[in-house]
Amino acid sequence: MTNKSVWSDSRFWQRSASWVTGFAAILLIWLTFDTSAQISMGTDSDLQNGVTKRVPGPTVINYKITYEMSTKRGHEVPVIGEKEKFFGRDDYSEEEAGELLHLGKLGSQAKNCMDCHTLLGNGGYYAPDLTKAWLDPAWGPEGSLQAMTGKNTKEEAMAEFLQHPSQYPTHARMMPNLGITAKEAKGLVAFLKHLSSIDTNGFPRNFGKIQGAIHGK
Amino acid sequence: MFEPMVDVVPSFFAWLNQGPLTLTIFLHTVIILPMIWIYKQEKKRLENEK
Repeated sequence: MTNKSVWSDSRFWQRSASWVTGFAAILLIWLTFDTSAQISMGTDSDLQNGVTKRVPGPTVINYKITYEMSTKRGHEVPVIGEKEKFFGRDDYSEEEAGELLHLGKLGSQAKNCMDCHTLLGNGGYYAPDLTKAWLDPAWGPEGSLQAMTGKNTKEEAMAEFLQHPSQYPTHARMMPNLGITAKEAKGLVAFLKHLSSIDTNGFPRNFGKIQGAIHGK
Repeated sequence: MFEPMVDVVPSFFAWLNQGPLTLTIFLHTVIILPMIWIYKQEKKRLENEK
């Protein structure tokens, strides 16, 4: 009788394939639950008690958000600071803030922002990345974009721009007028503010307009 | 070769993504080592059949 090799024996391959498939299936199910726990939105009490969540609750719009270099992690992380007025208020309830974010999210989908812009890694590269747009100093107190709109606060400047984008020369590829209403603009700005508070592990890496960021020194 | 764990939420999957070798070592452990074990079992079985 000839000596049969294990390599040409189908049982060896069957058992190996079953092991790898079975193990990978378990791993992927575990990964699904591990991820959902990490990306679930925080609550208002998390924010009040200083519990760090990767995705903070909607009431994060009541707080000041900064982007600070973490030497431990090697990139910038959003830091939620003290209370900050958002359209004149810093006492949005969880429901109000949630509704505002919902309106902004639906608005961003209805106006198809991702056709040109990138949000959390999804979308186009035709126009600037909006993931950390709220943290862009150009919209801040001494920023050129805020000055351009003639408004006194970041959120009002952004809302004004969103309603009349074609009036303001911001970019070589100017944003078209999308017929965004004042209410929608408020929702969109809230949505952008919340977006910027999400810990994205330093993404986008080349977001260098911020003081202290890797390329913004 | 091995990077410190710096993820926001330390978890098994965060550890798996820290450096190039963590994933490689992990996959070799869970795929190659059991395959060696299966190989030995099958070899023994074939020898016994003879």
